[in-house]
Amino acid sequence: MRSVIPVLTVVAVIVAIWFAGSIGMNRAWTVDQAERRGLELSAADIIADTLRQERPVLPTPAQVMAELWATTAGEPVFRERRGQMQGNPRSLFFHAWQTLAPTMLGFVMGTLAGILLAVGIVHNRAMDLGVMPWAIASQTIPILAVAPIVIVVLNAVGLEGLVPKSLISAYLSFFPVVVGMVKGLRSPNAMDLDLLRTYSASNAQTLWKLRLPASVPYLFTSLKVGIAAALVGTIVAELPTGARFGLGARLLTGSYYGQTIQIWSALFMAAICAACLVALLSAAERATTRRMGLGR
Amino acid sequence: MKKTITTALALGLASGGMAHADAHADSVTLQLQWVTQAQFAGYYVALENGYYDEEGLNVTIQPGGPDIAPPQVLAGGGADVMLNWMPSALAARERGLPVVNIAQPFVRSGLMLTCWADSGIVEPADLAGHTVAHWFFGNEYPFLSWMSQLGIGVDGGDDGVTLLQAGFNVDPLLQRQADCISTMTYNEYWQIIDAGVTPEELVTFKYEDYGVATLEDGIWALEENLSDPEFVDRMVRFVRASMRGWAWAAENPDDAAMIVLDYDETGAQTEEHQLRMMGEIALLVAGGDGSLDEAAYARTVSTLLAGGSDPVISAEPQGAFTHVITDAALAN
Amino acid sequence: MSVGLAPVRQRWIWPALGASVVVIAAIYDVRLGIIMGVWLGAWAVNGWLAGAARGTGVRVMVPLIFGTTLLALWEITVGLYDVSPIILPAPSLIVAQFAVSTDVLWADFQQTILKGALAGYVIGCGAAVLVALAVDRSMFLQRGVLPVGNFIAALPIVGTAPILVMWFGFGWQSKAAVVVAMVFFPMLVNTVQGLKASGAMQRDLMHTYAASYWQSLFKLRLPNALPFIFNGLKICTTLALIGAIVAEFFGSPTVGMGFRIKIEVGRLAMDMVWASIFVAALAGTGFYGLVALIERWLTFWHPSQRRR
Repeated sequence: MRSVIPVLTVVAVIVAIWFAGSIGMNRAWTVDQAERRGLELSAADIIADTLRQERPVLPTPAQVMAELWATTAGEPVFRERRGQMQGNPRSLFFHAWQTLAPTMLGFVMGTLAGILLAVGIVHNRAMDLGVMPWAIASQTIPILAVAPIVIVVLNAVGLEGLVPKSLISAYLSFFPVVVGMVKGLRSPNAMDLDLLRTYSASNAQTLWKLRLPASVPYLFTSLKVGIAAALVGTIVAELPTGARFGLGARLLTGSYYGQTIQIWSALFMAAICAACLVALLSAAERATTRRMGLGR
Repeated sequence: MKKTITTALALGLASGGMAHADAHADSVTLQLQWVTQAQFAGYYVALENGYYDEEGLNVTIQPGGPDIAPPQVLAGGGADVMLNWMPSALAARERGLPVVNIAQPFVRSGLMLTCWADSGIVEPADLAGHTVAHWFFGNEYPFLSWMSQLGIGVDGGDDGVTLLQAGFNVDPLLQRQADCISTMTYNEYWQIIDAGVTPEELVTFKYEDYGVATLEDGIWALEENLSDPEFVDRMVRFVRASMRGWAWAAENPDDAAMIVLDYDETGAQTEEHQLRMMGEIALLVAGGDGSLDEAAYARTVSTLLAGGSDPVISAEPQGAFTHVITDAALAN
Repeated sequence: MSVGLAPVRQRWIWPALGASVVVIAAIYDVRLGIIMGVWLGAWAVNGWLAGAARGTGVRVMVPLIFGTTLLALWEITVGLYDVSPIILPAPSLIVAQFAVSTDVLWADFQQTILKGALAGYVIGCGAAVLVALAVDRSMFLQRGVLPVGNFIAALPIVGTAPILVMWFGFGWQSKAAVVVAMVFFPMLVNTVQGLKASGAMQRDLMHTYAASYWQSLFKLRLPNALPFIFNGLKICTTLALIGAIVAEFFGSPTVGMGFRIKIEVGRLAMDMVWASIFVAALAGTGFYGLVALIERWLTFWHPSQRRR
């Protein structure tokens, strides 16, 4: 709670700088237009115009918020088309859902894959030496370049729609989970491991009773990074699938038609979604650690 | 993990490629070359007005986008037919993907080069020493060909053009990062006007006026599929219904634009823009019945071959088009 | 303490299982059998190698065998299943294309990595460290900036690329700007955490020495923060690379790795695309390795640098 005032102050400063930035960056266009029409503008006129442009270089916070409101509260989520109820493409909630669904599926797949890989790495020396360098290298491959190729190949195999996007999302989210889980599974100290050895525990029992519980804090930290990465992955994957719906699509079409306000509102919606997902994970983390007795 | 995926993909590619070809006998998947807009009105009209239904076809229209290369989708079996500009399709053909033109609804080219009048460019030869922003991804061939014919290099310097790879919007011109950008008569040019620039402040060169125009949106299919009589029959019905759609769209441009808007899934298109686009597109299809005019084809090919040191295609294409489908479609 | 997943007397289970998988696969489809055979055979070699020996040689050989096997499987699969080069070219084609295009790829590398990514990386990480120092001095700023920073870090930076290209133009500057946006917050978070890492006893000791804020910072807190700072730097190497390449998709001069990938996909020259991707992966891994090397040199005292 004591963070409220500092956060509000910082936000207020950012908003003020943003407004000033809007005026500064949109000014060139206003002055240019006025010159061509042979009009004289006072400073107040210039400022007023920069805050109201339709295709501003930098939309004001007010414009972005207004657009966000109009496309969320101002549009129904479903509409009637050809006798059926469909999602309404003018509603940002519809697009947000189109992005969130593959994100969550991809996140689950990536997490499972990451955990399995981490278990393999910790228990099998060949995997430990072999997989880790390649996992790191895999993250340096620009996903934006590979995504279209992956989508074309998967479409050829008959997988369309949700699954390819989820796979790309999973690709981006598995790496933080692998790194975090490997660290976590190796975190129990020597005394605890020796204790289980004196109980004649097999590797599987040690894994289940000691390593996995010890890795829970590391897991949740990685999950938070992973879910943000999964969201970025879905947005990137939307581009090669025709950019028809989803927040990434909205971002792109805004960019084609020069609708900067639309770009910013899609960006903000994406950030809000990411923040909500991370908050959900934090709540899950608190509940889990409290149940496990690790509560702080 | 990666090995598992690779193996699974290999398995899938083998069976999936075949699976798509003998899918439901009366279904057709069309891959557009851009997002849903009035440029493709004929097909959406045919869908909405039931022309495809009347031919007994179940048509799926897949919008394109900046990262989708229709030839690649066709190669991967993701579609039965694609729309593509002829230079791009002929280049794909040379690269080893045997695509064949089965119909050509667009008779005229809508490609232009739009410059600021105050940059001092009065005719194309003046482009030397200026900056041009152009799109790639299959659309660069006509421009590169034209520059090659004019003898203007594209690597910058005083006697060449500095070429920028632009995104698909008009900001490079508006923000003065480039003196000229490539525009379509039906899209980008109007975006510039919408942004507040008057036509007097611009100077525009139409590729048609300079004899370097190439044929644009055509319907292409894979050569191997054309040896299957069942596929050919489906294509005949598809082309026939599509041309009916185009005819209706040309006569009712406003209604056609509204139909396209209805099918737009991004919710980003505006009525004003689409109405205007439909009006311009109607000019590009006027007078055509879908069959490829061989003289226009020959002009396109010679433009591409004349690309100097870096021609788009290096040899005269053989068997790149067929009249079989359009002859049968227009027979009644 | 990893002695493998089965006790010694049951070691024959794994080769038997592997052999039966290969046989079953071969019955279904000979080509699949060959692929499974190569894969499991290489896995067996790797497993034996990892278990039998220790030392630097093994540490290098195992990932090398892993990677080579992957490439071999790719080549075999493309060959056996006759995959079109327009969808997925074989590694041999990619290497051939790489060999003839080294000058183009080198120019791209300079434009994207050396100008765009590196400039942005240095500016972004430098700014982040400075802001972290400022935030560290003031509790007020800490409570205010970090939550806001987390929110901004959640913005998909991919989406800011078109905006930044619009603002900074087509040159490498806009790519550097995207990289700065991508690396700033991860670096900030890591540095702030690092500055808190010094122990209470150590800080009290400096207090008893009447050390000023700056002396305490340079002699105690910054060295203690180095492991966290390097953690951030390592994460930011890959982010910088991705940011520079993504930014080029939205507007660039006719040179650059992102540009190359984009137009070659449009020309269906997939071998060139993969050659470019290969250069990107190589550059990224090299960059990461370089930072890791500097980390080992500077933070040799930290437990995570001990060899297991």
